[in-house]
Amino acid sequence: MNMKTENIILVVDDEDIVLDSCRRVLEADGFEVMLASSAEEALEIMERRLPVALLMDIKMPERDGIYLMGQIREKWREIPVIVMTGYPTTETIAEAARMGAATFISKPFTPDELVETVRRVLKKVIQPVFSSYG
Amino acid sequence: MGVVSLFVGGQLLYKSVLSEAQIRVSLDLNAAREIYQARIKLVNVSLNITTLGFGFVSAIKQRDIQELQHRLGRMSVHAELDFAGIVTGNGKVLCRIGPDPMPDKRHQPVNPIAELAIKRQAPIAGTVILSEDFLFSENSELANLARVQFLPTPTADPIKEIEGASGMALAAAIPVFDQSEFIGVLYGGILLNRSKCIVDRVRDTVFLNQTYKGRTFGVASIFLSDLRISTNAITQDGKRAIGTRVSKEVEERVLIGGDTWTQRAFVVRDWYITAYEPITDIYGNKVGMLGLGIMEEKYLDIRRKALSVFILITAAGTVLAFGLGSLLAHRIMVPVRRLIEASQQVSEGHFNPEIGPISIGEIGVLQKTFKDMVAALGRRRAESENQLLHSEKQASVGRLAAGVAHEINNPLTGVLTFTHMLLRRNDINDEMRSDLETIANATERVRKIVKGLLDFSRQTSLDREPAEVNRLVKSAVSLMENQALVKGIRIVFEPGQDIPMLTLDRSQMQGALLNIILNALDATQPGEEIRISTNFISSVIDMDQKGVEIAITDTGSGIQPDHLDQLFDPFFTTKEVGQGTGLGLAVSLGIVERHGGTIRVQSEVGKGSTFCIWLPLDEHED
Repeated sequence: MNMKTENIILVVDDEDIVLDSCRRVLEADGFEVMLASSAEEALEIMERRLPVALLMDIKMPERDGIYLMGQIREKWREIPVIVMTGYPTTETIAEAARMGAATFISKPFTPDELVETVRRVLKKVIQPVFSSYG
Repeated sequence: MGVVSLFVGGQLLYKSVLSEAQIRVSLDLNAAREIYQARIKLVNVSLNITTLGFGFVSAIKQRDIQELQHRLGRMSVHAELDFAGIVTGNGKVLCRIGPDPMPDKRHQPVNPIAELAIKRQAPIAGTVILSEDFLFSENSELANLARVQFLPTPTADPIKEIEGASGMALAAAIPVFDQSEFIGVLYGGILLNRSKCIVDRVRDTVFLNQTYKGRTFGVASIFLSDLRISTNAITQDGKRAIGTRVSKEVEERVLIGGDTWTQRAFVVRDWYITAYEPITDIYGNKVGMLGLGIMEEKYLDIRRKALSVFILITAAGTVLAFGLGSLLAHRIMVPVRRLIEASQQVSEGHFNPEIGPISIGEIGVLQKTFKDMVAALGRRRAESENQLLHSEKQASVGRLAAGVAHEINNPLTGVLTFTHMLLRRNDINDEMRSDLETIANATERVRKIVKGLLDFSRQTSLDREPAEVNRLVKSAVSLMENQALVKGIRIVFEPGQDIPMLTLDRSQMQGALLNIILNALDATQPGEEIRISTNFISSVIDMDQKGVEIAITDTGSGIQPDHLDQLFDPFFTTKEVGQGTGLGLAVSLGIVERHGGTIRVQSEVGKGSTFCIWLPLDEHED
């Protein structure tokens, strides 16, 4: 892992407003933020620079989220993934957990909720919460 | 069907009756022959006895005519002989019965049977044909008796003669010996021409002298060649039908061919079932016939009677079948047809079909069952329509909610984020801050509404499987822990001991739990805690019913007593505008109730609330 990438968060979402919101909040809190609007773009970026954590929408079109999750689990196991969802059914959450997400955050969220979640993941305050599920 | 069986039955009847008659007439013919033969034997025996009589041989030797005639006369009376006599060894007639006992020696034709006995020097018995000459010389009365006028017979072989003068006789001749010296022949016999002795005996013994419709049922005839010389068939003028002749066909088949012949034939004036057999004379020639007939009319009448009974039965059967058929049609087919029509109506969607009056018996049961079935079908359909409507509604709400959630939550994220970012700035005045807070609150409210809609749309049927309640609660707590910690609230789980496995829809039950925990989270202030425990406990409603209780206790604001009743109503909320939509608890209760469980709430304003989810041990249908 590149030591210089400590503070970088990669946000992946197909909606610009979400990307902008996350950048605005996280940058205000001192993070460096990279944005990708598709799974392919995210993987391209990660080939160049590795983030410390990844925020991603699980319900991107064409099952992009699931695909991206699989790729990351395969190549960069240690990078924690926070799943964002605007449709938090138990099924989608369970699926994310099975894929190895660190935690999830429901859209819409307040800046405080977002920052708090990211910080906990990075501090490893939050253990993978789904270990006991299904 | 009736016509066919009538035809077949009639044919069978016709054949069986006539063949029965033919069998009978053949058997009767056998009996008649026995009578004929017995008569010959009687003649033979009578003659034999006479020859063996004491003094007979010496009377011949001594030419004691008076004695011989006396003996001949006695024999003839007993044996009913028409002629009898004694011939010497050289063929001369010694003496005889009749008007001329001592014939003139010069022209004296010898009885042919006596002649044969002399020739063979052995006893002879059988049928013999006597010529007109012989008859004349023997006894002119006999000759007159033998003369038979031919009566016109259309079917007979046409011949020139108009009368027959020969005689046919049953006769015997016994040679008489003195020691071994042949001294003569005793002969005797019965002339069959116009004789009643055979035919009437046959009639009396074989046919028991039966009459049918005033006429003789059975007739017997003896033929000399094809000429009827002895009979009890009666002509129209009441005389015996002597002089008629058999048909050419019979003559050919029996007299010439030598067969026994059985056929229906027109005899004198009626149709008869007849049988004929040839009569063979002492030389082995077929010289005549023995014939029997039984009236066909009797059998025809039997057949007619049987046939009319048969027709009557068939007709009655047909009428009965039609009657029963129409009765059945009325009693069964009519209601059944109405049921069929009703079924069609039902299949077209009319659930109140007219099936007519209820019959008695099984058809009635069928009608009632049909009615019940249709009613049940109607109810079921209404239910399923409601259910369908409901699930369609739910599905469309679900789709709508999912779409709304997906589409709205993204822009809402932006709205929330930027509102909060603006609120963080120090360079805004109070009015701007207040406006921004209004935006933030309104957005929060939209978020809750969308979440409630999502929860509500997810009420689906249960997919049960065995589950550990403690593990289920633990995973729900884990899912909520992050949110709780963000709010600064601790969730404490105290799992109970020996909690049995329950059969649950894990996903839905988890959703119900999450909703209640979320509710508790909303009611709880930062720094406080939510306690969750599980217990194996009886139902508060029914102490015999064991189950598992999940208690979620918060130290929050509590619930107003007058709000407790409405707590689980959809869209009921005590929260400030923007704090909640109230869908969550209604959804949770729905899930728990579909598992056969209950949710109890204990609450004290200012101290907090306890939500007790109780789930039964036994499986309950949803």
